[in-house]
Amino acid sequence: MKLISNICSSLSPEFSGDSKHREGQLSIDGSVRFQLLGLIKSAIFWLVVSILFGLIASIKLHSPGFLGHCEWLTYGKVEPVFWNSLIYGWLFNAGLACSFWLLVRLGGAPAGNGFLLTVSLSIWNVALIVGLLGILMGGMLPITWRDSFTVSGQLPYEWLEMPAFIVPVLLAAFLGMGLWGVLAFRERVHRVVYASQWYILAALFAFAWIYTVVQVMLMSQPAQGTLQYLIGSWYANNLLMVVIVPFALAVVYYMLPKVLGKPIVGYNHSGKAFWSWILFASSAGSAELLYGPVPSWVSSVGIIAAFGILYPLSIFSIQFLSTLFASFSRIWETISLRFIFFGCIGFLLFGCYFIYGSLRVTQDVVQFSSFNNGVQLLGLLGFATMVFSGCLYFILSRLLNKELPSAGLAELHFWMQLLGVFLVVSSLITGGMQEGELMNGSVTGVLSIVANMKSYYAMATLGMGLILVGAIGFMISFSMLLLSERSGKETTVNLIEESPDLEVSAT
Amino acid sequence: MNRGPFIFIGVFIVLAFSWANLVHKPVQESGQLAAYFSDSERMPRLLPGEAEQGRQVYQQMGCVSCHTQQSRLESGFDIQRGWGSRQSVARDYIDQSPSLIGDRRLGPDLSNAAAGDRDREWHHLHFYNPQITSKGSNMPSYSFLYDKTAVMGQKSDRALNLPEEFAVESGYQIVPSRRAEALVAYMLSLQVDYDLPEAPNPEKIGL
Repeated sequence: MKLISNICSSLSPEFSGDSKHREGQLSIDGSVRFQLLGLIKSAIFWLVVSILFGLIASIKLHSPGFLGHCEWLTYGKVEPVFWNSLIYGWLFNAGLACSFWLLVRLGGAPAGNGFLLTVSLSIWNVALIVGLLGILMGGMLPITWRDSFTVSGQLPYEWLEMPAFIVPVLLAAFLGMGLWGVLAFRERVHRVVYASQWYILAALFAFAWIYTVVQVMLMSQPAQGTLQYLIGSWYANNLLMVVIVPFALAVVYYMLPKVLGKPIVGYNHSGKAFWSWILFASSAGSAELLYGPVPSWVSSVGIIAAFGILYPLSIFSIQFLSTLFASFSRIWETISLRFIFFGCIGFLLFGCYFIYGSLRVTQDVVQFSSFNNGVQLLGLLGFATMVFSGCLYFILSRLLNKELPSAGLAELHFWMQLLGVFLVVSSLITGGMQEGELMNGSVTGVLSIVANMKSYYAMATLGMGLILVGAIGFMISFSMLLLSERSGKETTVNLIEESPDLEVSAT
Repeated sequence: MNRGPFIFIGVFIVLAFSWANLVHKPVQESGQLAAYFSDSERMPRLLPGEAEQGRQVYQQMGCVSCHTQQSRLESGFDIQRGWGSRQSVARDYIDQSPSLIGDRRLGPDLSNAAAGDRDREWHHLHFYNPQITSKGSNMPSYSFLYDKTAVMGQKSDRALNLPEEFAVESGYQIVPSRRAEALVAYMLSLQVDYDLPEAPNPEKIGL
């Protein structure tokens, strides 16, 4: 009973005290509290699930006998479940939670249509469970059941492994969430639109667009042979570069001035960075199709576009690093900003590795090795995951008007995640270069390459283990925050001292 | 940039540009390839029925996570490694849907898995336990595709001839399931041993 009353108090807090300034923010937060907690709860659940599957997949690479007799845990199924739950589970739920909170806060008005968001986010998460079970159960359904699905089991496209029948459901659920975001944006009171809002709108629209292309050109009317491979790779690149990265950039643009209380250095260049990022990043992924059975000019376009990324990347690096370094000592004061600082470093490294990886001389060495996965994980874990984690700590304490239950747990999450991501990414990138050199640069037998890679796989396993410890710490923090009894201090509206309005400081 | 529609239309135009260039144009250019007939033989060859079922098992098990099916002439040592005899081209894949090309090589390329002297028995032992045929490999065992049955009178002629150290207790045998047979049939059908006008064999033209 006590726990239930604590949850009720988390969901609908009663405040005392008087603060004109906070009143508006409290009513804004109150309008989305239930839905955002739903997104955050799912996000953290999927983070733990995906890293657990990532750990199993990583162990299997150096000890193939591990869980070897379970058909549904064979490497070819565990690996796609890791990627799909990481992207559609953790990064989408967390990215949307951060984005929606930014939309209502920057818009300055409480949001309506709560029912639409509740329904669509529930459908999204349930469909995701069904889709991932579809991967795991592939080939295991009884014959009579198998006929009732168009495809039984996974699809062979990167980040699209979930069975085809689930794609329209996920698309519909996303359109519901996207529509809610657009409606929340339209109801804004502050007419000035801040950079974070551009990126959120772009990402919402971009995912609806590329996922529709997938539904039409890969599922309903599949294109011929190799073109499916081309479309799959176009989708995966755009999912990373114009959906997940923009969600995370939106968070960075908001959090830096908000926490530091100073505008972003060189904010007036943000428009150029935004448009050039969307333009170049949306075409840059085809560089890795080099030498394959697709038209060779496609990869040349990708290489040119990848070099175009240098322009927005240099603007981002000047903006983020100058802003952060101007108040460097303050980074250690707040846990949120610490996550975001390392996220920014991760993003700049990701951009550099992405451009380096698209070079023809690099692909000559690293094609088909773990290098590309390492760079993708640098973007997904080193940038997006770090930034979203930081932002969620910031949102949660404001949404619930509670203090973090334990600073130590948050510290544990931060250090484990940072070290783990470093280990995973560096072992995949450096290991991939060595693997590629042996695989593409010599006729060394595959078995001796495997023997050579064992230490890198072990390092990746250690990294995954550390990230898992951090993620479990995050989950405990979240549960304690939600279930703890509200202390007297936490009922006052002035628990959280907000820095000056972002709109004032940014423009 | 203070108007929502401006951002939406701008992003729409940019993404439409990327789609038109990188997806729509290739589909228009090479999305309608027809098979090539030489001496009334169809190239590429169609898969036999059992191999087509094996293709589904290959897809369901996620083999594409570790194995590609494409060989490159201009880069790497695919030809020297015996993974292919020529460059893979779009026409080789016209019958494949979904396409199993893949972009990760944890193990060897399989576009020519049937070439060489690996027979049905070798593939079955390999799937049952890769350590039998390729010691030190990190490929998982697919022993769940095999049944352990009691020997009734005479041993089944489909039972695997396991080496001493991997043998099961006497009175039992390991028999491939229908899915294992289909998967091996698929492996034995993977061979690009024909030439296409756009992809001549490099040895024949003296490259």
